[in-house]
Amino acid sequence: MLIELKDVNKTYYGAQPLHVLKGINLNIERGEFVSIMGASGSGKSTLLNILGILDNYDSGEYRIDGKLIWNLTESKAAEYRNKMIGFIFQSYNLIGFKTAVENVELPLFYQGISRHKRHEMAMDYLDRLGLKEWAGHYPNEMSGGQKQRVAIARALITKPDIILADEPTGALDSKTSVEIMELLKELNERDRLTIIVVTHESGVANYTNKIIHIKDGVIGEVEENRLHDSVRFGSDGALK
Amino acid sequence: MKDLFSEIWSTLRQNKLRTTLTGLAVSWGIIIIIVLIGTGNGLMNALLNNSSDSVQNLIAVFPGSTSKAYNGMNEGTPIRFDDRDITFSEQYSEKIDRAFGSLYFSDTLSLGWEALSSQMAGVDPKMKEIMWEKLVAGRFINKNDLKNKSKHIVIDEDAASQLLGDDKDYNKILGKHVNVGNIPFKVVGILEREDQSWGHTSYIPYSTARALRADGAWLSRITMEFHGLETKEANEAFEKGYKRAMSTFHGADPEDTRTTYLSNYYLNNQEMSKAIRIMRLALWILGFLTLLSGIVGVSNIMLITVKERIHEFGIRKALGATPWSILKLIVVESIVITAFFGYIGMVIGMVADIFLDKTLGSHPMDMGFMQMYIFKNIGVGFDVAVEATLLLIVAGTVAGIIPAWKGAKVRPIEALRADK
Repeated sequence: MLIELKDVNKTYYGAQPLHVLKGINLNIERGEFVSIMGASGSGKSTLLNILGILDNYDSGEYRIDGKLIWNLTESKAAEYRNKMIGFIFQSYNLIGFKTAVENVELPLFYQGISRHKRHEMAMDYLDRLGLKEWAGHYPNEMSGGQKQRVAIARALITKPDIILADEPTGALDSKTSVEIMELLKELNERDRLTIIVVTHESGVANYTNKIIHIKDGVIGEVEENRLHDSVRFGSDGALK
Repeated sequence: MKDLFSEIWSTLRQNKLRTTLTGLAVSWGIIIIIVLIGTGNGLMNALLNNSSDSVQNLIAVFPGSTSKAYNGMNEGTPIRFDDRDITFSEQYSEKIDRAFGSLYFSDTLSLGWEALSSQMAGVDPKMKEIMWEKLVAGRFINKNDLKNKSKHIVIDEDAASQLLGDDKDYNKILGKHVNVGNIPFKVVGILEREDQSWGHTSYIPYSTARALRADGAWLSRITMEFHGLETKEANEAFEKGYKRAMSTFHGADPEDTRTTYLSNYYLNNQEMSKAIRIMRLALWILGFLTLLSGIVGVSNIMLITVKERIHEFGIRKALGATPWSILKLIVVESIVITAFFGYIGMVIGMVADIFLDKTLGSHPMDMGFMQMYIFKNIGVGFDVAVEATLLLIVAGTVAGIIPAWKGAKVRPIEALRADK
């Protein structure tokens, strides 16, 4: 089991304590392509942050590949994120003053890989995603779809155990959204990558093989979606 | 390390105007420090040049005149020193190890057809240690000269040139005989001549001068070597007692303080080094305060930078940046800005020092009765340059540390949520 969550709870203590995750139990196998779907306020972003070791939880157990993620120092958490998790964000989160290839190199920089080696690897990944010609361009010179593919290259470059995609198509038009989802699907099928997509769009969720519904901080229905026909847009694959 | 610098380079290039403005504050601070310390050094060099370098346990006594009538003696009667005063001084206290006189008179120096008038100073070898002028060739009057009443003379470099018929190579006069009046003296040493406005002074042994002026010339001064006067109070008490004794010895009112004038080399030197220490400290403090405003400027800008870059730090953290790596990035950036612009400031400051030295430092100030250097050798030494560099690195670190801490400790989710 790659990801195991047992009775994970999280409360935000503000003026009004907010119990966001109320005992999450979830198992995800290596090589799965799943989506976590829920409306805003359902706790899906919090769950994603915990899965990505960006945030901690109050009680329960979270294991990645058997390793307990609990009470990590900032440095240890940074190391785990670097080695085990690749992030894809809705807003791409590329660094504006770095070129595409420099952005892709960044996770390797934090692994202490030599300049030459990481440049080579980054170029290789950009090539695979069809962005070789754009390597020297800055993010603001690229289209949304190109930016997201750069971000995907950056997520893939460390060969992480898990790819976490937070609304990966949220800022893209429907045509590009389809391309990005097809790309993720292909990566899952060809490279056996474990991909978790967090979304509120059923069309996006429909691309994944398993849809986990989250509502009011608890896991609801878990749909097997091998046939990609779980939602009404499923049949023709349209998004939005 | 190279990676770190290329990271920093790309962010600095992003914000050219901001980087430059910040840097200027630091440059300015360093320019002020270097110019302040440089001119301060110049001032101190000039001061030190007008006195001796080493601490001397010497008191010089100069004759004055009575300031009140006493016991049949009129007010304004000049006090005259002769050999009896030397003996009296030596016997005055067991703290006096030795006393010696200086005898001055004017005469003509000549060599062949060349002649010039000079003040002749019959001195003790000890005078060498308290003279302003430095020896440039040969030697000064020594103990043997004194014992043998040798006809040896030490003259200044200008006098030497003139006597040789304006020959710049004044060393040629060493060993030659020049006439004092009509008595030949062998030149044994040459002194530098710094101040053109004074007349020439030539030095001969005291004993020789005494013999030449057997008719009873008065002593211009008596110099006493003493021991065992450590504190200012002890020195002042001793001086007071001595003046009293001298007044009494000359038949003047014991309370008359104008019969003699004392100059205590030991105390003067102490006061001088104290003044110099205070001045140096004051200059450093002034300079540091100026630099401090630069540091605050850098720190302020770095804080804004960190705030603006919080989102970027969030991305970096999500990709595996440790807090330490973020801290390092910001602190090194701060050091780079401070060190680079500080260095520029240092170079400009040093150029300014050279300029000041060429203008202020090489022209004596005309005080009417004499010319005097207010500044001499304006500039900073290698030690100050090294200290300033270290100060810059420390300053850069200090300026960067608070912003860096803010950047390093922000949690990745908060950072990612922050506005771009």
